[in-house]
Amino acid sequence: MDTEQQSQQTQAGSEFEREPVPKNALLGFKSFIGMYAGEHCAGTELMIGPLFVAAGVSAFDLVMGLVVGNTLAVLSWMFLCAPIATRRRLTLYYQLEKICGRKLVILYNLANGVMFCFLAGAMVTVSATAVGVWFKFKMPGLNDLYPNSIGWVVAVAVVGGLIAVVAAYGYQTVAKFANVAAPWMVLVFLAFGFVGLRHFIEATGTEIGSLADVWDLAKTQIWKGGTPLEGQVKFTFWHVTFFAWFCNMAMHIGMSDLSVFRFARKSWYAVASSAGMYVGHFMAWISASILYAYQLHLDPSNTDVLPGPLAHRAAGLAGLLCVIIAGWTTANPTIYRAGLAFQALAPKSSRFKVTLITGAIATVAGMFPAIAMKLLGFVALYGLILMPMGAVIFVDFWLIRKFGLQSSYAALSGKTFNWAAGLAWFVTLAIAWVLVKFAGVQIFFVSLPGWFVAAVLYIVLSKFYQKKVRPSVAE
Amino acid sequence: MRAILQIVSLLALIALTLPSIIFLAGRLELDTVKWIMLVATVVWFVAATPWMWKDKAK
Repeated sequence: MDTEQQSQQTQAGSEFEREPVPKNALLGFKSFIGMYAGEHCAGTELMIGPLFVAAGVSAFDLVMGLVVGNTLAVLSWMFLCAPIATRRRLTLYYQLEKICGRKLVILYNLANGVMFCFLAGAMVTVSATAVGVWFKFKMPGLNDLYPNSIGWVVAVAVVGGLIAVVAAYGYQTVAKFANVAAPWMVLVFLAFGFVGLRHFIEATGTEIGSLADVWDLAKTQIWKGGTPLEGQVKFTFWHVTFFAWFCNMAMHIGMSDLSVFRFARKSWYAVASSAGMYVGHFMAWISASILYAYQLHLDPSNTDVLPGPLAHRAAGLAGLLCVIIAGWTTANPTIYRAGLAFQALAPKSSRFKVTLITGAIATVAGMFPAIAMKLLGFVALYGLILMPMGAVIFVDFWLIRKFGLQSSYAALSGKTFNWAAGLAWFVTLAIAWVLVKFAGVQIFFVSLPGWFVAAVLYIVLSKFYQKKVRPSVAE
Repeated sequence: MRAILQIVSLLALIALTLPSIIFLAGRLELDTVKWIMLVATVVWFVAATPWMWKDKAK
């Protein structure tokens, strides 16, 4: 998922926070390619790839699902997010404030911060699995929800504590280090795939003479499909497609990347996101999943998804360093950004203290393997929670005037909490919850209808809500 | 100096990837792959940090 993106966003967010980006600050296409290519090759990829295998995915479903899902994600950046970003050139937060009002944005920040905390926790978990290779303590299994050994708790505390302190002291330094590490990390992921493939060739005695032979090996030995492992949801083509599409939903459909693409000269620059999708969310996921499939091939009873041991078996110390650095460079901006979100609640509090406290919360979260082991569901939840606000921004920009309503209503009326937007958010989430809880719809699929629900609700509720508009304030 | 560091960095990335490809072809031992990858990692961070760090600072 994201490594550098959040840092870029944060850096970008520190400039032109309450004004459109001027022409002389716009960036070229190459800036976005480099940024997206590096940012989506992160520690969490080492969990997601194996979890696909645990979910009993077949080779065709995985490859085609990733091709289609990632394409849909790129199209979402290109046609939903970037066109608004390059027309308004405002940060997500300022745009939301104009539509929703300051108090609702604070609530949005809180939700965002909490989700970031848990996500950072999963990244700390990933890094801590590398420590287990050295110190041989008991590490969590696939279905463990709670910490299962003192060694694990200590390892997460040390790793998470270090990450939090570094994020508080030297966030920019780690962000720069992440830039240096990105090309190296991508190629280590690629090496994981090559090594894993060779392991399968040797273990199965397969003769490889053509690509068809590789595909046959993939279908019959690596991603065999069939029943998922105990406690896992069965993944089909549709699951993979929707997961790949929506795992960054907060960024594209949820409009978080307005803050990034407001710097783009043209909206089509969003096609640069394909560099991230097909490096991180295709190659890296496939590579990581091969390593886990090989582990299951050797010992079907060993279902533990532990990136540290997986990477060590494939690439030795370089692999372990990759796990640590991938988790660290991802967790760093995530903790920092969660801290920024929380700081919006108490603007006078010290950035240092807030980041430390946020890091402590993420560290405690990281001790609970439930988040990392259920990462597929968690990532879907993360996108779902922030998605309705993306629908609100979309409607507010393109459609709302066509219904005789005002765009940027909070800015015009001076309201600090736009109830139409707030209710559209809450009711959409409530409907999604009912669908998941009582109608048997899996969480991976509720976000798509949820977007339309949020869009329609925002229009309908605005009809009732927009009665008084302060006329003197220009948009 | 910058050009030299960039060339060394590029070579380090090649050295990082090539052994795994040769291993895939069945012509190199895994232990050798791991050692070369580790050395390539060290060389990458030593050679790339000065010029990539500066680029970002500009």
